[in-house]
Amino acid sequence: MRLLMTASQIRGLPVVTVGGGEDVAEVRDLIYSPEAGRLVGVTLNKRGFLAGRHREVLPAEAIHAVGQDAVMVLDESSLVAPQDAPDDVGRPATERNVIGDDVLTEGGTSLGKVADLVLLVGSTGEVVGYQIDKAGGGRGYIPLPAQLSVSGVALVVPNITEEFVQDDLVGLGAAVDEFRARMGLT
Amino acid sequence: MSESFRGSRGRKVMSRSSASELGSVSHLLVDARQRRVAAVVIGHGKKAQVIDWAQLSGFGPDAIMVVDEDALRPPADDRERAATEGRLELVGRRALSERGNELGQIEDVTFDADTGVLEDLLIGDRRVPAGSLLGSGSYAAVLDESQEPLP
Repeated sequence: MRLLMTASQIRGLPVVTVGGGEDVAEVRDLIYSPEAGRLVGVTLNKRGFLAGRHREVLPAEAIHAVGQDAVMVLDESSLVAPQDAPDDVGRPATERNVIGDDVLTEGGTSLGKVADLVLLVGSTGEVVGYQIDKAGGGRGYIPLPAQLSVSGVALVVPNITEEFVQDDLVGLGAAVDEFRARMGLT
Repeated sequence: MSESFRGSRGRKVMSRSSASELGSVSHLLVDARQRRVAAVVIGHGKKAQVIDWAQLSGFGPDAIMVVDEDALRPPADDRERAATEGRLELVGRRALSERGNELGQIEDVTFDADTGVLEDLLIGDRRVPAGSLLGSGSYAAVLDESQEPLP
């Protein structure tokens, strides 16, 4: 059983320093690498009502943990200017966004379209599934293998993914380990 | 002898040399890294003053004794100013695990009256050893992942 959350639940969370207990920023958006199956970083807003965009970004290497109530960093030096961050964080390519992409099995069945990312709570940004708008209507959740073929309009998942489509995050949390075991991942 | 943050709030602070009353405890300033009480704050607002723990001759049940009046000083930096305004007060602060999950609210903190070393944090109705404290600031007190109630 894993605790999971969606990217929309992470947007707006405070970024808090472990050593200082200060909320130094909040999550504006997540920058995701579908090939790597994880966040590459986070863009930030300033804290406070109508405070606006934060000049600095948070590369994934500097994320201590993504939790249900906060994104943790060791200290304020974890936030860096975009020009000092890896290129995929400092200048993220917008076409890498998978939201709206068609999810196809290797056998050619469409499971639906990607609606949101699902992350492992407490991890440093591991994306373990997608929320999808199912082809037949309604919301569903699918687990992800470690590697994916992604084109910008569609992504291809193993055939067994179809057996693991879940109705909610709790169901997906229970299914992730079994799916990975079946895929030969640990 | 064990003391608590709640229990010592408002206790009078006396000068050992003149036997006069200097004020009463408004806040205790914590060094989260060393997990100890670093200083006692008396008074409020602009009149608040700081007394370093080393300047105490005793943290007693009826009074906190200070070596002399010279031990009182104004807050030295932004952190101490925040402390005198109560913005770093541990009691009432939210507790977060280092994994980013809320654990509850800190209801009280106990410490050794002889050394100032923190003993336990009372979070909700759980008693958590102060050794789990990693950092503390205006937003949260951060505890290590061993205090994580999640699976």
